[in-house]
Amino acid sequence: MNVLLVGYGYMGKIRHRVLRQHPSVRTITVVDPALDASSELGQTMLPAGAAIPWDGVDAVFVCTPNYVTAALCAEAIRRCGRVFCEKPPGRNWEEFRHIAETAATVRDPILMFGFNHRLHPSVQAAKALVGEGDLGEILYVKGTYGKSGGLHFRQNWRSQLALAGGGILLDQGIHLLDLFHLFLGRLSVVDAILTDSFWGCGVEDNAFLLLRNDQGIPAFLHSSATLWKHTFRIEIGCAKGYVVASGFLSQTGSYGREQLVIGKRQFEDEAMALGNPREEIIYFDRDESWEKEVQEFLSAVKERRPAQHGTLDDAQEVMRLIRDAYAVAERQTSKRGTHESD
Amino acid sequence: MRAIESGLSIPLSSVKPLEGQVRYRAFCVQATRAVLKAGRTHWRDVSPVSGERLEPFGAVEGLEYRRCPSSGSLFLAEMPDPVAWARVLREVARQRFAPDGFYPQLAQLRTEHVYTPKLEWIQNTLRLQGLPRPTLVEIATPPSVMSQLLGESARFSDVAVIDEMALAHGEATGVGDRRVEVAILLESLDRVDDPRALLEGVAHMLKEGGLVFLTALVSSGFDMAVLGINNVYLCPPDRTNCFSLSGLVTLLADVGFGLVEVSTPGVLDVEVVQAHLQRDPTLPLSPFERQVIGSTEAAREQLQTFLQRGGLSSFARIVAKKLGGG
Repeated sequence: MNVLLVGYGYMGKIRHRVLRQHPSVRTITVVDPALDASSELGQTMLPAGAAIPWDGVDAVFVCTPNYVTAALCAEAIRRCGRVFCEKPPGRNWEEFRHIAETAATVRDPILMFGFNHRLHPSVQAAKALVGEGDLGEILYVKGTYGKSGGLHFRQNWRSQLALAGGGILLDQGIHLLDLFHLFLGRLSVVDAILTDSFWGCGVEDNAFLLLRNDQGIPAFLHSSATLWKHTFRIEIGCAKGYVVASGFLSQTGSYGREQLVIGKRQFEDEAMALGNPREEIIYFDRDESWEKEVQEFLSAVKERRPAQHGTLDDAQEVMRLIRDAYAVAERQTSKRGTHESD
Repeated sequence: MRAIESGLSIPLSSVKPLEGQVRYRAFCVQATRAVLKAGRTHWRDVSPVSGERLEPFGAVEGLEYRRCPSSGSLFLAEMPDPVAWARVLREVARQRFAPDGFYPQLAQLRTEHVYTPKLEWIQNTLRLQGLPRPTLVEIATPPSVMSQLLGESARFSDVAVIDEMALAHGEATGVGDRRVEVAILLESLDRVDDPRALLEGVAHMLKEGGLVFLTALVSSGFDMAVLGINNVYLCPPDRTNCFSLSGLVTLLADVGFGLVEVSTPGVLDVEVVQAHLQRDPTLPLSPFERQVIGSTEAAREQLQTFLQRGGLSSFARIVAKKLGGG
């Protein structure tokens, strides 16, 4: 398989590493305007200014900053039809629609978006245990995902509205929304508060979303760029117990050890202390989410079938929620402005 | 591979009280001595883990234990023939459930604190591994409370019990070409005379990708390491072999298993040492060890949590998968 990888930043490097180890991949052509001719990728790479070589490509990976993602993804769909695109799928709903509408013009496109968090071992274990697992039906979901920004946060393209399209909700919160969708199905935004309280970049550095699925099950999301201690935590309360997935096996390890706490509901007849049930904690020491994601996409390409997750529908769900959250927050801000001027 | 920590809090007295163990141990030692005296015996010189020559470790009521130099696993040195050993295991198993044994007195508590958590562990792991309603065998010396619970859970399509000594010696009936998806060995490797052969027998009867669930009391755990030969839970035939955690891992890898989970979710290490000290204050513990055991309840709880997290409790749980070609 001949793979074209557009964008060789943080995500591009991760995809490149995984692709190099994949047995079906014959060649990888990397395109990035910032690539130095002396880069030692071990694969074909194209220097700045070179045209994108679409011919003879079996699959395209779009790993670019948000402001070029939609246009490149749409072109890749037209030129190749087999595209893996990093999240977010565009800076906003309109750019996402551009991708979706382009896909609709191509026969049997194979399209997948990078939502690897659902493939993290703690999340997969949680998924196996809730619902039909022993923990019973889900009562609520709460998620917190955040980072501290850092010294150069203001200069990063992710913090600039024109380049990124949004703030932390679109950057990291989108993963939590995808997980909420995984556990709860279709959701709608009940309320949203977005603040730019610390960084002052003109995009939200904190997002608080209250959501509800079609069955009325609530979910609460906190996405933040002011969590001075890096945090990933998703709590799923069920009828017979709960699970809490937290930590990530990230490259820096700053999110802590990846683990899943499993607690069983115990009332006074089963435990001496009410409200302090027996818990088990599973620690995970291997994250294969990147490998699994690439494997699924390349298998879909090879077998000429749709991908089983990270689909256009999955992407649409999260982009719709983000669109609605921004709209609700905007209305809240306008209303508050009106009240204050009264 | 994943490791599991358990927040279960149970008192020693509700599952294996020291005084009950002392009486049971006297029976076990007597039964072992009798069988060694009655017939031909052989001495175990070589470690089933590493193949190294075993070194002296100490004696339990005159019964010598030897130690594997690299893994720290302990092995009863003198063994009778397999038929006689199987007889001892059956005799001791019956004693556990005899009216004056301590199992019947603690039946309800042990079901709640020992067997039910193990059943949940097995069921949850099977769910995580995507194995709904697998075929399962428990490898044990009957009678087994666990097999009854496994059969009642309705989460398995078939539950059978195979005698551990028969499987270790290729004499298990009803095995033949049968292949199952799950094998349960609850402290079975601790008991048999040839643990490597037992594991090879298990590998033979498992389908490729099949899982083995294994529990053991390990010599690398806190109470075993601190008390050593003075630990009253170290005696034959239940602890004929007392592997270290690394010893078990090595043995499993040698026989063709890949690790899915390695954990030491034990909750009793600190209390076991405390109970031993109360029973015999002259035990050879260092001043610091005494200081640790004499510290506050909160500190002891934190120590137990630390032992769980660090793989340093003496109760080990392992899930391993049969690899291709194994």
